[in-house]
Amino acid sequence: MSKVIEARGLVRRYPADGSPIRAVDDVDLVVEAGEAVSVMGPSGCGKSTLLHLLGGLERPDAGELSLAGTRVDGLSETQWAVFRRRNVGFVFQAFHLVDELTAVENVELPTLLVGGSRRDARRRAMALLERLGVAEQADHLPHQLSGGERQRVAVARALVNEPLVVLADEPTGNLDSRATGDILRLFGELRQARQTLLIVTHDARVASTADRLLTMRDGAIVAQTRLGEGTSVAGLLAGLADLGGER
Amino acid sequence: MRWMGLAVRLAARNLRRRPGQALLLLLTLTIATGVLGVAMSLYGSADAPWNRVWRATKGFHVSFTVYHPPDEPGDRALVAELRHRATQLTSAPGVVAAGGPWSHLYGSIQIDGGTEDLTAEVRDPGPYQVDQPLVTSGAWLGDGGGVVLESGLAATLHASAGDTVTIQGRPFPVRGVAETVSRGRFPLSRPAQVWVTLETAQRLRDLGMTEEGFELQLRLADPDRAADFVAAHQSLTAVPSSSSVIPFMETWRQRRTESHSDIDILAGTLFAAGTLIAILTIATASVLIAGRMAARIHQVGTLKAVGVTPRQVMLVLVLEHSAIAAAATAVGLGIGRLLAPPIAETSVTVLGRPEPPPLTLTRVVIVAAVAFAVVLLGTVRPALRGIRQSTLRSLAAGPRPPRHPGRLAGLAARAGVPLPGVLGLRSAWRRPGRLLTNATGLALGVAMIVVALALRDSLDLLDLRPPEPGHAASDAAVAILYDQIRAIILGTAGLLLVLATVNAWIVAVFAARDAARNQAVLRAVGATPRQTVIALIVSQLGACAIAVVAGIPLGLGLWSLMEGGDLPEVSVSAMSLVLLAAAVPVVFAVIVSVPARLLARQPVAPLLAYE
Amino acid sequence: MQDVILSLLAKEPAHGYELRQRLVKALGPAGGALNPGQVYVTLSRLERAGLVEAREVAQPSHPDKKVYELTASGRERVMLWLTDVTWSRVAPLEFHLKLAAAAATRLTDPVALVDSQRLELLRELRQLQELALQEPPDSDGALLLEGASLRLQADIRWLEVCQQRLVERESR
Repeated sequence: MSKVIEARGLVRRYPADGSPIRAVDDVDLVVEAGEAVSVMGPSGCGKSTLLHLLGGLERPDAGELSLAGTRVDGLSETQWAVFRRRNVGFVFQAFHLVDELTAVENVELPTLLVGGSRRDARRRAMALLERLGVAEQADHLPHQLSGGERQRVAVARALVNEPLVVLADEPTGNLDSRATGDILRLFGELRQARQTLLIVTHDARVASTADRLLTMRDGAIVAQTRLGEGTSVAGLLAGLADLGGER
Repeated sequence: MRWMGLAVRLAARNLRRRPGQALLLLLTLTIATGVLGVAMSLYGSADAPWNRVWRATKGFHVSFTVYHPPDEPGDRALVAELRHRATQLTSAPGVVAAGGPWSHLYGSIQIDGGTEDLTAEVRDPGPYQVDQPLVTSGAWLGDGGGVVLESGLAATLHASAGDTVTIQGRPFPVRGVAETVSRGRFPLSRPAQVWVTLETAQRLRDLGMTEEGFELQLRLADPDRAADFVAAHQSLTAVPSSSSVIPFMETWRQRRTESHSDIDILAGTLFAAGTLIAILTIATASVLIAGRMAARIHQVGTLKAVGVTPRQVMLVLVLEHSAIAAAATAVGLGIGRLLAPPIAETSVTVLGRPEPPPLTLTRVVIVAAVAFAVVLLGTVRPALRGIRQSTLRSLAAGPRPPRHPGRLAGLAARAGVPLPGVLGLRSAWRRPGRLLTNATGLALGVAMIVVALALRDSLDLLDLRPPEPGHAASDAAVAILYDQIRAIILGTAGLLLVLATVNAWIVAVFAARDAARNQAVLRAVGATPRQTVIALIVSQLGACAIAVVAGIPLGLGLWSLMEGGDLPEVSVSAMSLVLLAAAVPVVFAVIVSVPARLLARQPVAPLLAYE
Repeated sequence: MQDVILSLLAKEPAHGYELRQRLVKALGPAGGALNPGQVYVTLSRLERAGLVEAREVAQPSHPDKKVYELTASGRERVMLWLTDVTWSRVAPLEFHLKLAAAAATRLTDPVALVDSQRLELLRELRQLQELALQEPPDSDGALLLEGASLRLQADIRWLEVCQQRLVERESR
């Protein structure tokens, strides 16, 4: 299996009064193709920053990052933009659709940017909107859509160029329970389609859909667990070792 | 009432929180109110010194003057009749004192560089119950001949008692110099004036000066009834229309105004300039205020959620901006009082040190009205929009969403315009409100540039007056006045250009700020920074195009309103208008590119954070 | 209750009174409400079940003290209890006791305890969600599953709070 994301020693500092704070502190990460990874952690632990680093929205202060074998940590803004439009799909908590474009125009954007023909872009966009169940809203502007519909349009936009990886930052943060359920179902389908996913989330429901769960604290990954396997009590047992030995 | 206190405190806090924008608004407003303030303080700044001389010389309340060309037999009888009427007037009810009628002789006096028309007023020995001129050098008329010069004339000749002047080609000794209010000061008031005794008058007649009229000066029991008096005795000035005799009656106030027409012209010019600047400030103010509103939509939403009525919310907004308008008024009037005296002192017609007139309520109200009008016009639209918005939407912040999809961008896309251009067009078209506001602002700027061009063209007119013989000195004085007016016009034109540019800059900066989130989204989706810059510029060009199409006719219309009267028509050449229409979009694109590029260089992540 | 006392004995044998003190200290407010007799009753039950054995220890100037210590099966029982991650209706209270016991006796890292419990809950949630996907959206089955899912989420959130609190306490 090829590695979609390979990060080594990623560091991102923020200048604070006094010594700079490490928002992301020496993180190593590997994501294989077709994996769904979720990242959890308390507020301020750096998970959003890590996501931004992986997608090129922020630049690491140190470390290496490769996406599908291409070194990306040294790319310029323009180079990243060109790379991103073809290979990375973003989904945000605040949806972040362009207000002045209709749903289908929003979804077409990445294809048009890549240089696809208008007809091709429109076709792909409509197909995705159908698949996500928002084809009827194609000509609506974002403010006319509900939160759940907007996020589905955003997911469509993220998927339209068949990206290497979809990076989602609290995708259900602004959604009610029903809309969250829709997105969960969606992510389930994406997993079945072997789309590589990395989801930063607070929501246990979303996190539990992943194959692998990363826990972050203070900028570092403190735990990695495979959710598909049995209970891992090895750690517990190790602590109880001296029970039998005493006396 | 308790709400009023809270509203005031909220308004004060809002002003303190973002002082930068408030100060910018204050500054732009103060330019307009400052110019208006100087105009307000110039009007009548010569009144105080005039009044002093008027009191000191037992100045007239009503004058009865007759001009007649010499040597027309038919008129001699008429003139005699008019003299009789004048004498009768001295015993009219209300009259407490009379001076004259004094004859006027017409001739010429030698001045550096040529001759000037001269009037010699023939005085009996005196004392006079009305118009005893105030001697400032030497002595009044008496035995020993000689002439007494009017002070302006003396200043032009650099002459004082003991010097000699040349009248009708002959030398005459100067017996003294005196001030009076019965004439305006030479050289802006023509002809020059001297006073002579009966004997000297005879000599002048022998030298060729001709009799051209007389003047009777009256003092009334009540000087404020002067206008009524003139109205009551208007019939005395009736003459057959075929005659060339010109009798007229005038009050002291009218004479005072006429004596300082140059200051009035200056004040008038400044007033017009101030009004133009104020109009342009509306555009700048509305963009600035819209910017403040956007930042405060959240507060409006919170207030409404707490149960405050829209009217009360409006009150806070009005209070804030009224405070700024009031401050601008005060500062403007203050600047006026400071700057008006030095400007007025450059005038040659002022009889002494000019003083800014007392601040009447009218003057304050005029300047305040302009300031408040600008601010209110700038506030209305954004305020109404902010208040009508639903509460929830206000709380969720974000710019107001657009209304309907558009066809234009679709056409452009089909025509093969590159993607950033299409995005820009769509952006612009789907937010008609914002488009219109920006377009209006820019249109006013373009209009003012047109006016500035017309002003500059009109300057050529001031140079076209040929010098008239016999007016050497007064022409020089008029030339000085015209220089002042020219300076004001050029200054105004320049100021309008600068303000129009600043206005465009402010529009551009706010447009970039509005677009910040969309730019970030585009970049997250894979648009390069350069593409986002192009999209922003294209989105603004729509407003620019509308501005050019609307602004040029607006400017021409404004100009035609302003001129008229004696100035011949000045039309801005079609070529300059075409150049303007081509230059404005280019210049504006350059202006917009600066904040656009700065924005593109900023990191994307903070703009996309959930806040 | 039995499991708590067993685990308190795991580190070190103790006599009745000492044990009660340890209990109070470990449980905080919940321990204060204990009936003193309850401890001795539990101890004798445990003795009868063969999980603890009592020894007489001679004391210089006092009557003999009865000291209790764990048997091998007692030790086994403690291990099973601590590592048992199945969640039941009374789970929160029981988990709190486990956590208190772990914290007081240092038998295992409390943070690791919370972590593994949380992971188990996440796995349960995942299973619930997979089941829910197979149900038609508006059916009664879906409703039941939704209820269970919501309760699980609440418990997971509580566990996260516990974790946060423990981490803060450790860093002090």
